[in-house]
Amino acid sequence: MADMHVMLDAVCLAAQLTLESGGETYRAEDTVEHMCKGFSIPKADVLALPTGLIVTLSGEDGTAAHTRLIRVRKRETNLSRLDACNNVSRLVAQGKMTAEDALAALKKIQKTPMPKLVWQVLFGALSAAFFCVMLGGMPEDFVVAFLCGLLIHATMPLLSRCHVPGMLGGLITGFLTAQITLLCNTVYPIHPEPAISGAILPLLSGLATTNAIRDTMKGDLVSGSARISEAVLTAALLAVGICIALSMWEGRF
Amino acid sequence: MHWSIQIISCALAAFFVALLLNQPRKTMLFSGLIAGLGYAIFLLLGQTTLGYFCATLFIGVACEICARLTKKISTLFITSALIPLVPGVGLYRTMRYLVQGEYSLAVSCGTDTLMGICAIALGITISSVLFANIRKSERKQA
Repeated sequence: MADMHVMLDAVCLAAQLTLESGGETYRAEDTVEHMCKGFSIPKADVLALPTGLIVTLSGEDGTAAHTRLIRVRKRETNLSRLDACNNVSRLVAQGKMTAEDALAALKKIQKTPMPKLVWQVLFGALSAAFFCVMLGGMPEDFVVAFLCGLLIHATMPLLSRCHVPGMLGGLITGFLTAQITLLCNTVYPIHPEPAISGAILPLLSGLATTNAIRDTMKGDLVSGSARISEAVLTAALLAVGICIALSMWEGRF
Repeated sequence: MHWSIQIISCALAAFFVALLLNQPRKTMLFSGLIAGLGYAIFLLLGQTTLGYFCATLFIGVACEICARLTKKISTLFITSALIPLVPGVGLYRTMRYLVQGEYSLAVSCGTDTLMGICAIALGITISSVLFANIRKSERKQA
């Protein structure tokens, strides 16, 4: 049997990456359990929360237990990374990969960066613009939603770099979206409703909501309610931001 | 706006969200198509709570099937396919009514939005529970 520490490293890193890339908590727990079966570790206990992770691996009679606590601070969505992680854990579970190889592969996955910021801003803006058309926007609304999208997705990373909490970032971006749309409305008459709604759609986290529901249904009540409150708070703060901007332009929309 | 344009732009929007979330290349086309079809169902059923439910159920089931076919996890597909259905307009309208002091309209609009979200939750839950049970019975047979 390979060194217990290497296995623990590999297992923890896999679960941590899963949580950090937008995976459900039950998926992180499943990952650990499957990998431990692949490593033929007799007993593995894991507790995953949206903000942290505890793993204990122990021998047959409960001796030689190794425990590790990992704090998860980043919570972003990077589905390619989630997929890559899942592939590694699947290979390990099938016994086709050793602990050392798995650890090396996971470290490589951890270092793979997100696509360049320019692309992210562009894709975010394009999705906002098409959402606007989907909600019944006209060509001029398409342009405005595109501009809003550009601004939102350029501001978000800037705010997180300045250590503004993610939730507060929602308030600011909501405010900016409504403000710009209504400003454009005074220059050229557009339809603010589809433009604003379209621009905020990519921000309303569908992922947090679906993950919350799936976690709750699995019986992970703690992570479920944590995620639900995250989703509700994000939506509420976005709405408050829009509300503030609208009240400044009262009677003009 | 013509419905076909709405559906096509929905598919495109979901595709760009997939790009934004760095979804694996092979799965992007699936999510875009599923999102478009799901929105078509939503429009067909008249943008009601039932529409939200049926569209989400379709999206959930289609994503789970795609996940089985490509041997990837269903989260990859669902994330971007579901975003178009999130009731953003309802949220915006509720806020606008609140600002204008139209409280009764705000409450009715807010309730509709909330019902929409609940219907989406129900749809996604049913589809994932359905497939989780199929997975279990498969494992028992094997």
